[in-house]
Amino acid sequence: MNRQSSSKKWLLTGLALVITAFHLIPFYILLTNSLKQMGDFTSKWSFPDYFNLENFALAWEQAGLANAFTNTAIITFSAAVLLILFGSMAAYALARRTTKLNKFVYILFVGVMVIPPLTALVPLYRLVVNFGLMNTHIVAVLNNVAAFLPLTIFLYAGFIRSTIPKELEEAAKIDGASTLKIFFKIIFPLLKPITATVLIISSVYIWNDYQFAIFFLQDSSVQTLTVVLASFFGQNGSQLNLVAAAALLASLPMIIVFLFLQRFFIEGLAAGSVKG
Amino acid sequence: MKKTIGISVLSISAMMAIAGCGGSGSGGEGQVKLTLMSTATTKADQDIFKEIVKDFEKENPDIDIEDSYPSDGYEDLARVKMAANDLPDLFDTHGWATSRYSEYTEDLSSMDWASRLDPAMEPILTDEDGKLHAYPINQALDGVSYNKTLLDEYGIEVPATFDEFIAALEEVKEKSNGEVVPLWLGGADKSQFGQYFDQFATPLLITDEENSYEEELLDGSFDWSNYTYLAEKLKEMNDKELLNKDVLTAQVTMGPELLAQNKVAFVMLNGSVGREVTGLNPDVQMGTMPVPPIHEGDSPSWIGGERHTLAVANNSEYKEEAKQFIEYIAQPEVAKKFAEGTSLPDALTDVEADNYFAEFYKQYEGTQIQPYFDRLYLPSGMWDPMGATGQELVAGTLTPEQVSDKMSQEYTRLRSE
Amino acid sequence: MVQTLTKGSVRAKTESKRKRKKRGDSSLWWMYLPSVLIVFLFIIFPFLDGIRISFTNWNGFSQAYDYIGFDQYKRMFADPDTWLVVKNTLLYGIGSTILQNIIGLGYALLLNHHLKVRTLTRTIIYLPVIISPLIMGYIWYFFFAYNGGALNDIFILFGMEPINVLSDPAVNPYIIVFVNTFQFVGIAMIIYLAGLQSISKDYYEAANIDGASAWQKFKAVTLPLLMPSITINIVLNIIGGLKLFDVIVALTNGGPGNASQSMSTFMYNLYFARQDAGYAATQGVLMALIILIISMSALIYFKRKEVEA
Repeated sequence: MNRQSSSKKWLLTGLALVITAFHLIPFYILLTNSLKQMGDFTSKWSFPDYFNLENFALAWEQAGLANAFTNTAIITFSAAVLLILFGSMAAYALARRTTKLNKFVYILFVGVMVIPPLTALVPLYRLVVNFGLMNTHIVAVLNNVAAFLPLTIFLYAGFIRSTIPKELEEAAKIDGASTLKIFFKIIFPLLKPITATVLIISSVYIWNDYQFAIFFLQDSSVQTLTVVLASFFGQNGSQLNLVAAAALLASLPMIIVFLFLQRFFIEGLAAGSVKG
Repeated sequence: MKKTIGISVLSISAMMAIAGCGGSGSGGEGQVKLTLMSTATTKADQDIFKEIVKDFEKENPDIDIEDSYPSDGYEDLARVKMAANDLPDLFDTHGWATSRYSEYTEDLSSMDWASRLDPAMEPILTDEDGKLHAYPINQALDGVSYNKTLLDEYGIEVPATFDEFIAALEEVKEKSNGEVVPLWLGGADKSQFGQYFDQFATPLLITDEENSYEEELLDGSFDWSNYTYLAEKLKEMNDKELLNKDVLTAQVTMGPELLAQNKVAFVMLNGSVGREVTGLNPDVQMGTMPVPPIHEGDSPSWIGGERHTLAVANNSEYKEEAKQFIEYIAQPEVAKKFAEGTSLPDALTDVEADNYFAEFYKQYEGTQIQPYFDRLYLPSGMWDPMGATGQELVAGTLTPEQVSDKMSQEYTRLRSE
Repeated sequence: MVQTLTKGSVRAKTESKRKRKKRGDSSLWWMYLPSVLIVFLFIIFPFLDGIRISFTNWNGFSQAYDYIGFDQYKRMFADPDTWLVVKNTLLYGIGSTILQNIIGLGYALLLNHHLKVRTLTRTIIYLPVIISPLIMGYIWYFFFAYNGGALNDIFILFGMEPINVLSDPAVNPYIIVFVNTFQFVGIAMIIYLAGLQSISKDYYEAANIDGASAWQKFKAVTLPLLMPSITINIVLNIIGGLKLFDVIVALTNGGPGNASQSMSTFMYNLYFARQDAGYAATQGVLMALIILIISMSALIYFKRKEVEA
């Protein structure tokens, strides 16, 4: 019995390793290529027999990645803060007060999730220009907040309904606390697990946004990583090694954050799926 | 009361969160910021733009030019910007100065350089009312470019007719044992197919007197079955493996590199390709030839017109500064630098620019110059279907007849707009 | 005594105050006002305006256009490209959903064992999720490219002809499904893992006593109890797959021609390259309808299953 289960364990471990290796392929190819000098057309599977990081320096410089990083970070951070603030407040009201109006608003939010973002692009563009928001971080922030609010509200509302006892608020109400105070002092701290979920899902999404950034952030001073990378790829299609270096650099911060905080990433997602 | 305070606190904090990141950066106080958007696509072209912009900024420290080069996405962006009436202060009209962009341009006819404008350029950029829509930075003289070193090596004559062209392609394939791509297209970008159709439509449908459909094309009665020939020939070339195998996924930017490695004979690329290839490999010389005739008795033609232009947006806040930039680049020495940097002829009468292909232009001196087929004879918006149907033809999802049908449908729709 | 009295009267006072206020306060509408404003301004209003445009022949930039009734809708239903693109979109949506769920569940079942390499495997499988789909598309482009692609390096090594999968209209939609699945299978895996870990061991012990086989246990215990995870996964994957955009742009740009175009990329192309904004908006309405119908029916179907289980 014991031997059988240990050989089964070896088998499963082997299987897991094969799967892991398979999933590493794209990263492996990205790495070998980014290390090769321009004009090195040896197999994509082999590492170069020399060491040079020139591609990274060139890509960093030519694509203007430093500026793109700053922009992406600012936009992602501000959008995440607003999402959590507005989303949790809205969800609280919608989950706790089931008036006709609130039911309608809730259904509206859920319904909006199916609207393909591109269908609204041209009218949205006109609006943004009329407000004078072109090429500002604000438009990228608000766009991403709008795109992610419905899901955020959906997740928060599910969590509040299923895990936050009403008694807590009632006790506080009796003490004469205002709704806002109750929310921020009592409820919001209890939402931590789902806030982590929202933060992680939305940050990844916003960090990687391309569809909207490409239109609203044309000025190179406000461009985000994806936009910069897409145009870099367009201009250097024949120098895949350079593009690979840029792609690797652009993904690196997220990879590092993920590797260090992966417990939160994975638990956050799991919590969102079980409770949401 | 408490509630209102709460809301205002909230909204203020929200505003602060946003405002903290609101500033769009560069440029000190009192600086004028001009936006410029160009169709420059290759690195060489973009580099010369950037260099000249920098020189200008150095001379005019109070003006900051924010230049952008969306390459493939230029037309898309320009359309969105037109829709929002938000074109950059300076933008490229790429052949559509007097039609698509005409509502959005500032009249430049009173500027100094207007009197020095190449007579060939004037009618293209001026409308009936005498409004001059854009400044031409350089001119296109498009034909077919080729790897001269390779052709010389194989002893292949530069073709003088379309049939000879196909024969030359076959010869390349044969003599290189299939190692060299006879005609290379970077067809991941539809415009490479567009370039093929657009250039060869001129000898097929315009220049030969007995086969001229100018009137029909312009009045909308054109019978598109006359266009099928080009699709058939493209299909034939593909079937005979005279095109690169990855014609549908090859990136345009790979072209010069392959030419420099002697892996390609003919390309539908022009202008700066010559300088770029020789820059990559000094042992390779490039040549260029006008578009060969298709019908017997007809003569070849260059496909010409303005290449890079700059127009001033008529709703720009800084028209004077934008004009100042145009004035700057219209100075003979800057114009010369620009023309040489892009390896294309300049568009002013008092500039003598050296050109990579100068000897070839001289060799074909007197050859007629025809405008781009789609710019003159087709309604705005046909460029995309022209390239897309070419892709589908080569992919095998459309027959040559269906290509013509599709073109006919789009032609009718876009004409009615 | 006095104290309690005053306290009581204060409470009565606030109570009556609250009652007076209740009508306005009961919805707490001001708490979701910012959210409603943002969503209205940035999604709902532009979307409605898009519907209006679908009744015009607007070219996408000109300041003038005409209202032409249902002409664009008639044109849409007669256009063979519409059906090609809908077919692709369904393939991307449903194909990726099926693959992601089967493979994701498989991975979750494997990693539910206490293996030493569990954390490593989980990390690597999940890693692509955090990378931009656009970049992921480019990376796979390096893999599948005809010229110097990693796949063809293997083919050449074994003396075979290099293949050009990205330009073959019969193959490249499946490549897109593969890349999308590869990227997001980690999400399905994690959600299933969480689901599996919430199933109490008692169920399996009871099944063991009944002498159930592994497959019987999976069918009778695991699957029904995983139903909530399945619902979430399927709905998330379908919506994501049907809206697919970035990966297609990076890998094939919808080509050759329209062969691998999804409704998103097709619409984009109509708007900006074809000067056909009215028609693009019409396609957008169709797309919203398709996503709505499919995701809602999936949601209802699986919710019902959940109740049955």
